[in-house]
Amino acid sequence: MATGYHRIIMKIVLTGSLFFLGSSAVQAGVLVQCPGDADGSATWTGAEVQPVHAKCMHLGAGDGFITMADGKLQYMFGFSNLTGIPANTPTGTAEILDAGTLAASFPAPLIALDEGDEFYLTLTNIGMSMRPDLFDPHTVHFHGFPQAASIFDGLPDSSISINMGSSLTYYFKLNNPGTYMYHCHVEAAEHMQMGMLGSFYVRAAQNGTIFNYKGKDFSLFAYNDGDGSTGYDREYPIQIGSFDSAFHDASLAVQPLPFATMFDNYSMLNGRGYPDTVNPNPLPPPAENGGKLSQVESTLITASPGESVLLRISNLNVTKMNTLATLGIPMRVIGKDARQLRGPDGKDLYYNTNSITLGGGESYDVILDIPAGDAGKTYFLYTTQLHYLSNDAEQFGGMMTEIRIN
Amino acid sequence: MTTRFNLTMQLSAVLALLFWVSPLQAGIDGITGTNFTLSVKTGRVFTPDGGSLLLWGYADGTGPAQYPGPTLIVNEGDTITITLNNALTVAGTASAPNVSMLFPGQRAETSTTDPGVPGILTSEAAPGGSVTYTFIAAHPGTYLYYSGTDPALQVEMGLMGAIIVRPSNGANFAYNHPDTAFDREYLFLLSEMDPRIHEAIELDGPQSTAVGPYLANPFPVVWFINGRNAPDTLDIPNLPVLPNQPYNSAPMMHPGERVLMRVLGGGRDLHPFHHHGSHARIIARDGRLLASSPGAGPDLSHEVFTIKSVPGETVDAIFEWTGKGLNWDIYGTPADGPQFVHTCVDGNGDDFDDTTHEYCPDHYKPIPVVLPDNLDLAFGGFYSGSSFMGTLGSLPPGEGGLNPHGGYAYMWHSHTEKELTNFDIFPGGLMTMLIIVSQGAPIP
Repeated sequence: MATGYHRIIMKIVLTGSLFFLGSSAVQAGVLVQCPGDADGSATWTGAEVQPVHAKCMHLGAGDGFITMADGKLQYMFGFSNLTGIPANTPTGTAEILDAGTLAASFPAPLIALDEGDEFYLTLTNIGMSMRPDLFDPHTVHFHGFPQAASIFDGLPDSSISINMGSSLTYYFKLNNPGTYMYHCHVEAAEHMQMGMLGSFYVRAAQNGTIFNYKGKDFSLFAYNDGDGSTGYDREYPIQIGSFDSAFHDASLAVQPLPFATMFDNYSMLNGRGYPDTVNPNPLPPPAENGGKLSQVESTLITASPGESVLLRISNLNVTKMNTLATLGIPMRVIGKDARQLRGPDGKDLYYNTNSITLGGGESYDVILDIPAGDAGKTYFLYTTQLHYLSNDAEQFGGMMTEIRIN
Repeated sequence: MTTRFNLTMQLSAVLALLFWVSPLQAGIDGITGTNFTLSVKTGRVFTPDGGSLLLWGYADGTGPAQYPGPTLIVNEGDTITITLNNALTVAGTASAPNVSMLFPGQRAETSTTDPGVPGILTSEAAPGGSVTYTFIAAHPGTYLYYSGTDPALQVEMGLMGAIIVRPSNGANFAYNHPDTAFDREYLFLLSEMDPRIHEAIELDGPQSTAVGPYLANPFPVVWFINGRNAPDTLDIPNLPVLPNQPYNSAPMMHPGERVLMRVLGGGRDLHPFHHHGSHARIIARDGRLLASSPGAGPDLSHEVFTIKSVPGETVDAIFEWTGKGLNWDIYGTPADGPQFVHTCVDGNGDDFDDTTHEYCPDHYKPIPVVLPDNLDLAFGGFYSGSSFMGTLGSLPPGEGGLNPHGGYAYMWHSHTEKELTNFDIFPGGLMTMLIIVSQGAPIP
């Protein structure tokens, strides 16, 4: 059934892009803008030379399916990673649309970059195969990007969004390290509930230098702290997101969307409910996707005794505030909303806690300092809103993962 | 740049009649003084989905009920006296409830002339009666006031408002410290309503038995900034068609200015208030500067991109924006056209143009990507048609139009995105737009 839809939609999308081709002077169809990259793959291969600081990525926006931890299939809108496919070639548009169809992943592909990078992010609107009645444009909102220009803010109300079959390239100069997030901002209550959400973080320029903090040498830091106090050995993005299955089912069935009664019944970390969160592998792809993987990110946290683990926690839930707690080890909170917790005259505002509460659009950087003697132990990261420890009616699941010390 | 402003001004003269240009809008709307007379009355809260809800609101003297109540703007150190009259009427034969006011964060003084009746939390005004409250506005800052009588019901019905206490060192400071200076200030009083409660009270009166379960498990479906739902937030204040919702929320600024955001949790839910554009520095909570010691200034302040607004809490934050470090010139380059020729004069060595606040290290750097053709794009009403600040570009017929000065527009909204709806209809709700316009473009 999916294949049948697929074919019909490919025709619609391709016809649409041909129409654009005939009527547009500047651009039509898929186009990747990436300096030094001739074939539009958003990578540098062969004779192509990567300019200093340039980073590129090609995201598709479309739809697909994922599987909840209780086995329920959920229809979603989402992003897919099309980086690596030559797009600016005679067959590029067709190849990109083919690769991006029913390829939505949850969470969206991770974006992890370095301070100082110049980021060229191409978004191609693939179209929603299962909803041929929709002609929604899409955007990428780089949530929290400081000193943003509205043209690249991804807010459809104040700028531009890309139509089906075409590409828009965003440009970001990354001057500030920290934990951000990204999502589509078109019809935000719908597209975000439907799953167009991902993690986005920027590593600090201080990385690579050595600071000794409390007797330990660090070369990786969450922020340019100047004293090693945000040093870490391993980092994990943790994104809170949740689904209201009634909303997703209504969307798939082309029914009116229940905004007023929206109530999430699947609470997840990085696109999975417990115990799928601790599965280190990609989840099996739903047949409805044509075999494309849609849940590749594990949230199993592993570390060795004595290590410092940086959790980059963001929340893109669209219905409630959430509390995440640790069991067995305290959290040292060193950052909030992509800013080091430090006052304007240098006073550290770090604090230790066992729980943080964050609403949609907030992020925290917390460090777990694993004690030296804790080999073999398992700690837990879970919500203390205990009714969210469920996968719909299946009890004891949901927003939880494990921190295994090996 | 002057040329561009002249072009945009002609258009804006027309559009100004339609959008957020009103002589009444400067600063934060409210009433000033030391003696206030408020009355509790009924009114209607109009929502953009076409509905309306019964309101119990505080009114300024003989004026109409307001949602939120009148913003009381007072000065540090003043003794504030508020006489509250209970003019509430209810459906059917039931009697109206007592009403009252609480002033969290203020030190209330007992009054020997208080004619009210005793309540659990404070003195109350009986139906047709009145009560007088007195407090000393000892600390500058942002505060709430709300009903202390059956507050779960009465605050839901609309009985809440804001108090601003101006510091002694001047009206352009939030607190008595130079680091709290601001160029503009805006109020963001966040709240929500559950229509089932308002309908039950309207039909059955305040003794409605239907209302109990709703109050115990409220499920709001409309969300407000300053008593309005988007897009009404962006309309002018004192709009005749919104007789009980006089305040708007339409922040504007120029690059380089400091904007004080006074964010208040006036309802019962937490709202993550995400402000597009840049970070804001939280300098105070609940009317107390985040200072490690008296006189230290906001040395415990920190920057956020989402303000976690908690019920009953107030947050003061300073927002600034220049476009610094984008690595392209937001004012355009000569290659973009002769109208984009401009200078960046940094006389004081702070990297910014002394007048426009352009970030000079990015001066004349071209925008690094080519934008798609218009046929490939969908446009927002606040899009000027151009990537560049202070410029209007060509747009297809019917597109744009809400941004007559070619500013940059940013959504300031609840990031509980469900709250961007008005009773099942997207978009709306707890949302407004910040418009940043070039130096020289007028801000009402």
